[in-house]
Amino acid sequence: MSRYSRINTIWRKELIDILRDRRTIFAMVLVPIILYPALMLGSLQALEAQHSQFLADRYEVIVPSEAAGKWLRRVLDTDAVRRPLSEEEAAAAPSEDDSPLEVARAAQTRPAEAEPPLRRDAPAMEEARGARGAAGPRTAVRGAPPEYRITVRAAYPHEQFIGLRTALREGLRGGMSDAGADAAAGRLASTIWRDAWIADFAGPLLAGTVHVGVIVEGDAGALSNGGNVAVRVIMDQTEIRSSIATEGLLGVLERMNERLVEARMRRANIERSYLHPLHVESLSVATPEKVGGSVLGQIVPLILIIMTITGAIYPAIDLTAGERERGTLETLMVAPVATVELIAGKFIVVTMVSLISAGLNLASIGGTIWLGGLGKLLTRGQEVVIPLTALPWVLLALVPLAVMFGAVLLAVCSFARSFKEAQNYVMPVMVAAMIPAVVGILPGTRLEGPLLVMPVANIVVLTRELFVGRFDPTAIVWVIASTSLYAGAAVAVAAKLFGQEAVLFADSGSVRTIFQRRYFTPRRVPTAASAMLVLGLVFPLNFFIQRALGESPLFHERVEYLYALWAVFLLLFVGVPVFAAKYMRVTERTALRVGGASLPAWGAALCLGLSTWALAPAWLAYQQTFLPMPPDQLHALEVATAWLKEVPLWLIVLVLAVTAGVCEEVFFRGYVLSGLRPAIGPVAAIVVVALAFGVYHNSAHRLILTSALGIVLGLLALRSGSIWPSVLVHVLHNGLTLVASRADGMGPWLEQSGWTDAEGMPAPGLLMAAGALLVIGLGLCLMLREPVRAGEGRAAAAAGVGSASPA
Amino acid sequence: MIRTEKLVKSFPAPTGEPKRAVNEVSFEVRAGEVYGLLGPNGAGKTTTLRMISGLLRPTAGRVFIDHRDVTDEPEQVKQRIGYLTANTGLYVRLSVSEFLHYFATLYGMDRAQARARIGALAERLRLTEFMELRCGALSTGQRQRTNIARALLADPPILVLDEPTLGLDVLSNRIMLEFIRTQAEAGRAILLSTHALDEIEAMCRRIGLIHSGRMIAEGTLDELRRQSGRERLSDVFLELVGAHEPVFAD
Repeated sequence: MSRYSRINTIWRKELIDILRDRRTIFAMVLVPIILYPALMLGSLQALEAQHSQFLADRYEVIVPSEAAGKWLRRVLDTDAVRRPLSEEEAAAAPSEDDSPLEVARAAQTRPAEAEPPLRRDAPAMEEARGARGAAGPRTAVRGAPPEYRITVRAAYPHEQFIGLRTALREGLRGGMSDAGADAAAGRLASTIWRDAWIADFAGPLLAGTVHVGVIVEGDAGALSNGGNVAVRVIMDQTEIRSSIATEGLLGVLERMNERLVEARMRRANIERSYLHPLHVESLSVATPEKVGGSVLGQIVPLILIIMTITGAIYPAIDLTAGERERGTLETLMVAPVATVELIAGKFIVVTMVSLISAGLNLASIGGTIWLGGLGKLLTRGQEVVIPLTALPWVLLALVPLAVMFGAVLLAVCSFARSFKEAQNYVMPVMVAAMIPAVVGILPGTRLEGPLLVMPVANIVVLTRELFVGRFDPTAIVWVIASTSLYAGAAVAVAAKLFGQEAVLFADSGSVRTIFQRRYFTPRRVPTAASAMLVLGLVFPLNFFIQRALGESPLFHERVEYLYALWAVFLLLFVGVPVFAAKYMRVTERTALRVGGASLPAWGAALCLGLSTWALAPAWLAYQQTFLPMPPDQLHALEVATAWLKEVPLWLIVLVLAVTAGVCEEVFFRGYVLSGLRPAIGPVAAIVVVALAFGVYHNSAHRLILTSALGIVLGLLALRSGSIWPSVLVHVLHNGLTLVASRADGMGPWLEQSGWTDAEGMPAPGLLMAAGALLVIGLGLCLMLREPVRAGEGRAAAAAGVGSASPA
Repeated sequence: MIRTEKLVKSFPAPTGEPKRAVNEVSFEVRAGEVYGLLGPNGAGKTTTLRMISGLLRPTAGRVFIDHRDVTDEPEQVKQRIGYLTANTGLYVRLSVSEFLHYFATLYGMDRAQARARIGALAERLRLTEFMELRCGALSTGQRQRTNIARALLADPPILVLDEPTLGLDVLSNRIMLEFIRTQAEAGRAILLSTHALDEIEAMCRRIGLIHSGRMIAEGTLDELRRQSGRERLSDVFLELVGAHEPVFAD
């Protein structure tokens, strides 16, 4: 029976098994099909019902005086009359003599005759009239008002106000003219009076027994001759009823205002557009599909991602920890099935269930929005079309995500001995996934820069972009490729973990034995897994740190950058491998290849180190003929490194040649090469490390060169059994390259003596000498024999690939 | 049929020096023979059986099943072993028939072969009346018979039974012992691990006594009696394990 047909058998059985579980059906089908529509439509209806209930209620209004109450009642009663109100009608409220309203008038009203003379035929009016339709009277700004009951509070009788004003007048008369004192006393008294009333209203408003208070300042009668009245509506913004009552009341007052404006303009013979010299309007070019996509894009990606993950949780737990708990794992493992087939079958099912669940959710959300009219509500009545064509693409974008989480969850759940334990492990994964997901839903986040490769976040943003119909193929490739990469890594980790005997059989030793230092057996060289782990850790870290350093104002184009770089080199390229070796109980001396080397090895290193600096620029010039680097990139590189010319030569050599040479060798030719060598054999190990070394230099232009140099360095380190000769080559190469290019170094001398031309290109004589040295160096290198160490054979056997390394 | 040579299994230990759960265990089980692996809890019985069945990879030493090395040809070896323990689980959401068909497929049978084999086994083990029930709904006895059927699916010449009667009632116990006897009579090689001395006494022709990962004695019951100078098997056991001193000092 072939491997694939076995995997096929396994996943089909697992799918049947999982689908028969009520809990799966509940999580996968019931939640999306029933819960969403119920939740969305239900809450929507509840909201509407509550709203209409609120509108049907009667609201309590308090006013400070009989007069204000009567005026307000009239205003409310005439609101139903949807016609321009005459000023007389508006002003027809009984007014008390000497009331605060009247006193305030002196300060607030403006005599009608002071209004500027208006001419209808102003040129601006013609233009404004054209746009009148959109800027017409806003009579229907707020909906129909609810019913109000107006109560007069009798906190401060009117006599008190008179008394207050008189007292203030008396007090002020000594210092100013009588008229001035009268006016000031009136204003002061009004202000104190108003604040006193507001304080009085606060009690019942805060208690919720009253919903809104109204204070009218100024003489309502003055409205008939162009006067103004200030109406203050006092409310409690935290009380929904108070807000609704205020909203309604403000609507009534605004409509009244509008009608008064209409009436005044009619009397003064003014066109309305005269008051709106600027006609401002924004027009959106978004198609209905895009509006729909944008609405979906606000909420759907996050829900989809949550559902993709939650869809995978239950099967992941059930198929690993659940299987162990029920004792069926052993049953299965005694059948002629390989672990890798088992995990593959399980992984297919977890991914599948996760995708089915995401698909059902997508359909359900779409349906609910479509049928429930939620789209209309969210876009406030604009025309909306759900972008159905985007849905298959969205589902496709979810595939790598489902794959990634399927694998991550399988890996995490593999550790658990029981269902409960697995649930505990899953929680942090969910939280960890939510953080980038939330970054992705932040409004305005675009699919560019580091976000392209940020797991989860990139899918969230991609989904949103797909919804609004923005298909940037490059971005899609980045997102899918990076997510697939993470998914692949997660699958590899899951397969590796699941195959562990400690994971398969709880009584075969604790899972701790995989991670805890005290369980590790001392070894001479690192495992291939730890070499890859260190590589995978240091690579991105170095990239981000160096970039952050370069952009930080503290270090940008400053000498301090070199000091920082020096520290980063030591910390990452020496610190991390040394720590890893210590933690994994690997002997540092053999892990990092820091033992001594033979004399021929040093000879080879000297030859190689003296040759490559001269050959490198010749190669790059040659490469330019078939892989030309765009001039603007070349220029950008020159500009970016120009500042280094100002830095003292010794410092540059110390950091970029000596430190870089030593640290990079310790890392690449030391830890990583030692770890990979027993697992994949000498040739593959040298090539892999050289490629990593090339990619690490982060320059497509120099990739071939640095990789080739990596092969030479790897060969030398492996054959000599030590990194020191390759350190010498590395330091010489970097150092001579730097020194030869500098005006304060060998640059002028080389040019004067004819070794290089004005461009720094080596002369044929120098090239031939360098070529000869390279050949001698490589020859010496190949004559060396790789030292065989007792420990490496054991390490190879432990890695399970002993036969692959003919040591 | 089964032959182990200096079988070693080490597990990582907090000291950094791996602990040997099984230490150079060598023995042989022939066709038609019930071989009893006897030892206290934690002696290394289960680990030994798991290495023999290809569930665990030996740290050192070798296991041969019909002259095939388990490490080199795990799948061919698994095909020839019926493995059974008292707490081997069933897929509770599959029916007995589905469960057996699933394993038959994994053992490489096609549909017709599987149907014929499962039909025959169902007849012999009296599974027919509950073939369509979900495994979760079975009684202990029915579960046990289903599991026996699973172990016999590929008609293996070798049975590896890890404490098959642990926690069973008298009735289920009898089913199991009867099963073992008939299988041995049918010519299968049977490796039985247990710490139930009476079972060993009743069933096994030869016995291996395992303690702290080491095989401390091997032979027929009579040979062991002679070696220890004790008559009752429990005394033989205690004597050989070296624990025949009184537990509580006076």
